[in-house]
Amino acid sequence: MAAGFSLQDFILFSPVILLTGWGLLTLILDLTVLSRLSDTDRNRALGLWTIAGLVSSVVLCQFLAFEYVGNVSGQDTLIFFDTLNGGVLYTQFAALVLLFAILVTCLSMVWNFTSHWGEYYALLTWSAVSMIVLIASEDLITLFLSLETMTICLYLLTAMEKSKKRSAEAGLKYFVYGSVSSALFLFGLSLVYGQTGSTGIDMIGQILSGAERPGLSGNVAGGVAVLMIMVGFGFKVSAVPFHQWAPDAYEGAPAPVAAWLASGSKLASLVAMVKVMGGALGTWSATTSPTSPGWVGLLALISAATMTYGNFAALGQTNLKRLLAYSSIAHAGYMLVGVIAVGISTRREEAAAALFFYLVIYGLTTIAGFALASWLDRDRGTEDVDDLNGLGRRHPYVGVAVCVLMLSMIGIPPTAGFFGKLYMFMEALNVGGQDKVTMIGLVALGLFNSVVSAFYYVRILKAIFLRESDRKPLQNMGPEVSLPLAVGAGLALFFGFQPASLLEDMEVVSRSGLRFAERPIASEERGVVRTILPARTENPEAAPAAEAPKP
Amino acid sequence: MSQQIPLTWFLYFAAASFSIGLMGVLMRRNAIGVLMAIEIMLNAANVNFVAFWRYGPTPASEGPISGVMMALFVVTVAAAEVAVGVGLILLCYRRWRAADVDELDTLSG
Repeated sequence: MAAGFSLQDFILFSPVILLTGWGLLTLILDLTVLSRLSDTDRNRALGLWTIAGLVSSVVLCQFLAFEYVGNVSGQDTLIFFDTLNGGVLYTQFAALVLLFAILVTCLSMVWNFTSHWGEYYALLTWSAVSMIVLIASEDLITLFLSLETMTICLYLLTAMEKSKKRSAEAGLKYFVYGSVSSALFLFGLSLVYGQTGSTGIDMIGQILSGAERPGLSGNVAGGVAVLMIMVGFGFKVSAVPFHQWAPDAYEGAPAPVAAWLASGSKLASLVAMVKVMGGALGTWSATTSPTSPGWVGLLALISAATMTYGNFAALGQTNLKRLLAYSSIAHAGYMLVGVIAVGISTRREEAAAALFFYLVIYGLTTIAGFALASWLDRDRGTEDVDDLNGLGRRHPYVGVAVCVLMLSMIGIPPTAGFFGKLYMFMEALNVGGQDKVTMIGLVALGLFNSVVSAFYYVRILKAIFLRESDRKPLQNMGPEVSLPLAVGAGLALFFGFQPASLLEDMEVVSRSGLRFAERPIASEERGVVRTILPARTENPEAAPAAEAPKP
Repeated sequence: MSQQIPLTWFLYFAAASFSIGLMGVLMRRNAIGVLMAIEIMLNAANVNFVAFWRYGPTPASEGPISGVMMALFVVTVAAAEVAVGVGLILLCYRRWRAADVDELDTLSG
């Protein structure tokens, strides 16, 4: 497909368009047909309605994947003036985001934490839509727009729990931190645009790698841009020192929303981060010479701080949601190791696939963890780790499921979490050159942190299996809780025995969907083949302007 | 004619207003003030986008217009953000009878 757009683009994006309309219909249904029902009935009806919409979107997505996407790859997958990816990356991750959304919708039906169910489910649908668009973004404009749509929906979802004061506070805190970070991010993008004259992610990568002096040395504006973009992504994936919002927002938000924040939003932001840092700014990644530092060193510091802080802060937590929040910060630290590997490895596609593998498994297990929190919230109104006491005696199946989840989060075989860490750290160790020492240090720290993390994950298991309950017993959890729990634990176990199937799928995704610009090689004189901008004919952005009527 | 004001002036202006916005975010206690400071930061980035577009290597009249497109979309995003932000501030004001960000300290640890 050349630049521009055709009917096929709309067909390819029909799952997203369908969901956008579905959200509007949710609002209308809530105000008309369902307005007389009680809160509980409206929650159930709208929840099922939303699940129906999400499922039909998944079906449509998979149909398109077989019918249209097939085996096209590379430049051919770009649609809508080369701003969006319509290839395997889009269809696979859209299905994944929608699966997360279905599980979160199940959790939302567990108990009545708000009376605005129409708005709640509409915002949930739209945030799923913007996550899909964010993952598919191939242009800084669509990227920023979908990132903002996603977070604006999430600010509101966080503040949805009406009965609790802390929910409003969490929403405002998340809003203040989030919007400051997106302002910083935008300023960084503007500097990148100023340096390259383009907003296309692939285009920026090509221009930067074709520059006279590739690399960051002596480029103050480029350094500032990298710093600001990293602050922006750091907030979105809750990396230290930009993590302060995360524990508060996760604790204050209703448990389903916290699950959504930890899984969907983190997945989408990390895929976007891989695209921007690895694809557009990949040239600026490696330490090519002592005078030419790249962003790898900085990101390595952030990653080390994130995993260490996350794990040590989680040790002292008594609230289950807050504990899961710190655990999600720690996991963000591990995943940043994967991002660095994508930035400097020679096997970038494989490194990205390993990172995506980790992301998928992390997302599924963390949703299941928050399913537990939703259950406690419904029956007790609190979600302390002590609330889990004696659970294993009463509900042995739940005990087994949680055991699988915790082992997967620690990274113990035969669960998928082990293979996620294994693949990602192996890719990190494959890195050669000047940054090899950094990577070895990071992997060692990651392994040490996995041991530390075992202490608080095992504390949950200890509460479940070894302690006697002194509080009123939990009721049966019902299908809304058991489905996400079973899916999370089941897939963590399944991919623990069949890790290759998921990894191969993710490799197909990253091979066809990610485009990395050539990286500079320290010794090689690249010469002045390209000046600042490439020839106009190579510029995909120039095409729309050519179609405009000429005087 | 087109080169009367150098590009760097715009960049200095944008950097200055961005810093003012950032200081506002850090020093303001009132949530509405923080919101206004965030708007200043977004608009500083917008000035950058438009200036880079105008002084870019391709002639502004025929080249890619992505800089201006970005600025237009950012204006929309900023409006949405203000709407949501004011909504959240009102929600908190109803619960605490205060719109100061440092009064919100129920959640910590």
